[in-house]
Amino acid sequence: MLALLVTSLLLHGGAILLRWQRLDHGPYLTMFEILSSNVWSLLFIYSLAYWRYRPIRPTAAIILPVMFIMMGWLMLSSPEEGHLPPTYDTTWLVIHILFGKVFLGAVLIAVGMAVVILLRHYHIGVQRLQRLPDNTRLDDLAYRFMALGIIFDTLMLIAGAIWAQDAWGRYWAWDKLETWSFITWLTLAFALHLRVTYRPNPLRGAVLIVMVFILAFLTFFGVPFVTMVPHQGAI
Amino acid sequence: MQSADLVSAAVFPRLLVWLRTLASLRLTLIIIVVFALSIGIYYFSDRRYEWILAMPLTLLAINLSAAIVTHPTFRYRTPLLLFHLALLMLLLLVVAGRLSYLRAEVEVTSGSQFAGSFDRSESGPLHQPGYQQLHFLLHDFTIHYAPGIQREETEAQIEWRDDSGRRMSTTIGDHHPLRLNGYRFYTTPNKGFAALFLWQPTATASAQRGTVHFPAYPAHEFRQAQRWVTPDLRLELWGQLDFDEILLDPEHPSQFRLPQQQRLTIRTNDKRYSLQPGESISLPQGTLRYEGLRKWMGFKVFYDWTLPWLLACGVVAVLSLGWHYWRIFSADPWLREGKE
Repeated sequence: MLALLVTSLLLHGGAILLRWQRLDHGPYLTMFEILSSNVWSLLFIYSLAYWRYRPIRPTAAIILPVMFIMMGWLMLSSPEEGHLPPTYDTTWLVIHILFGKVFLGAVLIAVGMAVVILLRHYHIGVQRLQRLPDNTRLDDLAYRFMALGIIFDTLMLIAGAIWAQDAWGRYWAWDKLETWSFITWLTLAFALHLRVTYRPNPLRGAVLIVMVFILAFLTFFGVPFVTMVPHQGAI
Repeated sequence: MQSADLVSAAVFPRLLVWLRTLASLRLTLIIIVVFALSIGIYYFSDRRYEWILAMPLTLLAINLSAAIVTHPTFRYRTPLLLFHLALLMLLLLVVAGRLSYLRAEVEVTSGSQFAGSFDRSESGPLHQPGYQQLHFLLHDFTIHYAPGIQREETEAQIEWRDDSGRRMSTTIGDHHPLRLNGYRFYTTPNKGFAALFLWQPTATASAQRGTVHFPAYPAHEFRQAQRWVTPDLRLELWGQLDFDEILLDPEHPSQFRLPQQQRLTIRTNDKRYSLQPGESISLPQGTLRYEGLRKWMGFKVFYDWTLPWLLACGVVAVLSLGWHYWRIFSADPWLREGKE
């Protein structure tokens, strides 16, 4: 399984690099590129967790279908080339994106464990899920990945603010993407704070993790799908 | 017991109870929810009132301050204390920034000076205007376009004098604003053509030179007309810039430039005149000489002294949060030797 993951990462990574070399810009412009690079980065981060945390390997049955759905969307997106606006031609954008990918990857791993907790609660596939650690242990590890997530989400917002200041002369303007990414950050902060305050049971923790992931997913792929005007500048 | 001790014994416990109530972690959760809702209201409302955001932020600042003072956790968890202090500082800096910021826009003609005034501006109530003393000369600028009229890099050649009177020059553009006394001047894609005139009123001997900016190009490519009045306010004029050249070629790379052949149509009192550069028209109120065509660029101006401090606090916050989590997670590794 790990060998298959690594092979797919190498092949997909090669394809991204070839496109990068041909177009002379990174995979962060069109929806096709955003999806492609995110499928790669999410799978890369998940593969690291898969390799490092053996007990949670069966969560692949939850994570990989999410990846397949994203790949399906990727296949349906137009691979047409986009034009790199001058506002995108900066290292801060690359840093901003990298932090964002680590954030989403960390939350995705947490989601894998949260969904196991939810499936167990609703008695779905209980036999198959027995191989995984108990809910308390899964919840503990999921919390750690959420903590990693908030650190990289914060770094993403900081790097994004630096980029925005240089690109548009303002570090924050409550545009669509900024607003939704900040609401995602607040939800993540709420989930982590709630854990400290009320020590919720694994089920409630799992619901919060899934909520954060849905918000983050919508921010990453939903908002750019609707509009990218504020982040691309004008003629 | 001394009277002062009596007062403190009576007041401080009550104060402590209040502070503990304000420092409640449950209150923090409520404030986070209120803040998220406020952002939603702010985002979806037509008129963006800042008090909608200021209210939960104030509550959060109070909650954070009270927590830092009363929670014993902060006494033995330095990274957590640092994180909360950095968050509090961030909130205070955002407030300070909103009170003293300035945002403005100004159009500057190539070959002429920015002379310390803006076309449009908004600022915080405590902003101390320091821009009137700012001057710079915009020599020229170029904006490149890729096929399909897609904007590429912008470069503007700027000259100014520093505090000691030394002549300085630089090229600014995308991601590289001009920084003068804390004010940042950003180039923008907003640009167009400017007609340079010399107005000689009949009644006085002194002539006045000035420019008229036509609407932005290529955004208003087919509406290159403008209405204005002479400096002595005696005559209203209307002018239209005409040229047949394709300046920004949709098929090939190009750059924003002046047309090689152009003509200016002037209309006043139901009479029309066609002017080439160097030509004049004589009117009862005075003589208008069209000296030539130039380019203008719109600059966006930004001032916020809190920027480097905001960045510093953000970095301290994230580093201390990372330190905090590292400490608690490394003390109790999830993968325990021999167990997994």
